[in-house]
Amino acid sequence: MNCQEFWNTIPELGDCESSRHLLECPACAARMSRHRELEAGFRAVAAGFRRVEAPPRVEARLRSAFRRQTGSESRAPSRRWIPVVTWAAAFAAMFALAAFLVRDRQPEAARPPVQRTIELAMLQPQADYDGFIPLPNSAGVAADDAADGDDVNLVRVEVPRSAMIALGLDVSADREEELVEADILLGSNGIARAVRFLD
Amino acid sequence: MNERPMTSAPVETDDELLLRMQSGDEEAFLTLYRRRQAGLFRFALHMSGSMPVAEDVTQEVFLALLREDCGYAPDRGTLSGYLFGIARKLVLRHLDRGRLDVVLDTDSDDFAQPELAVLDDPLLDLTRREGIDALRRAVQALPRRYREVVVLCDLEEVDYADAAVALGCPIGTVRSRLHRARGLLLEKLHQERNPRQALGTLKPVRCV
Ligand SMILES: [Zn+2]
Repeated sequence: MNCQEFWNTIPELGDCESSRHLLECPACAARMSRHRELEAGFRAVAAGFRRVEAPPRVEARLRSAFRRQTGSESRAPSRRWIPVVTWAAAFAAMFALAAFLVRDRQPEAARPPVQRTIELAMLQPQADYDGFIPLPNSAGVAADDAADGDDVNLVRVEVPRSAMIALGLDVSADREEELVEADILLGSNGIARAVRFLD
Repeated sequence: MNERPMTSAPVETDDELLLRMQSGDEEAFLTLYRRRQAGLFRFALHMSGSMPVAEDVTQEVFLALLREDCGYAPDRGTLSGYLFGIARKLVLRHLDRGRLDVVLDTDSDDFAQPELAVLDDPLLDLTRREGIDALRRAVQALPRRYREVVVLCDLEEVDYADAAVALGCPIGTVRSRLHRARGLLLEKLHQERNPRQALGTLKPVRCV
């Protein structure tokens, strides 16, 4: 076996002939020793990364995507509820929700849980409004809009779970940072009326 | 008579989980995700050097799997190899878009393999902090085609058959690239250890 043949057998080393070549050829033995050092280095690098993995929010998002795809979400959006996909609308929704959350932040500990379901059915009888939590003044807005024959938009966004606390929902402290998907109901004037967390 | 305690149910294969997932079983999807996400995330991280990119890629891989026309064919290789293949395409797209790596990838596979000189001075101890950091940097600095094969086979211990599926090349190419990549790494580490020694002064070693 010459050097070329020896290296061509990598990684199936260990047979007698390969071992003999290593004993007889200092050059290959030295080079082999470098490769062994490198392998130990790879193992050390890999060990340092063993606990590295995707953050939990990726699983949460994928679960939501799976439910949307399989239709296992109990509140499958009707045709009319196809999420508005423009970034402008999404930003408007985030801004509207953020404005509400920031404004109403202080008394959150004392505020009783919000359990009302917004009565928007009068606006769009065919739509599914289950699980929506009204934001302040939303009922009045809804009534006005109904009178005007106004329309509403649904925007799906991701918000920190801490947003749920601001609305009186229970969230364990260690999950406040996680993102949760939410449907935000926007009036034609861009004001957020109600929010529904998809969790 | 001593009964052995009941053993746990046999672990489901990826393909079994995929079938259940495709029939709408969320638990199967999540089991598959939990089994494969870490390796894919680390692969994308080593390739891109970016946590956000790694997160994005991991998510996109599984979203792709959710699509009906995901293109996985069990007769062409394992699901793991297939998933790494998607991750690889996504990472390369990110790299192309963001120019996240500056290494020129001009080496071809048939580039002559330089024999490493036998040098008396040792490499850095690659199992200690300094050496590990140097090795990581050296891997990151490899041209893509070598970096991906090292990350897959040497860091994630993906077998050659799966790596071939992921890289879309024959197993022989995986072997030769790996061989070349390790040679480049050793050169790089040696240079780091001996910065004054120009690469050109390394003498080829021959023995017969
Ligand atoms: Zn030799």
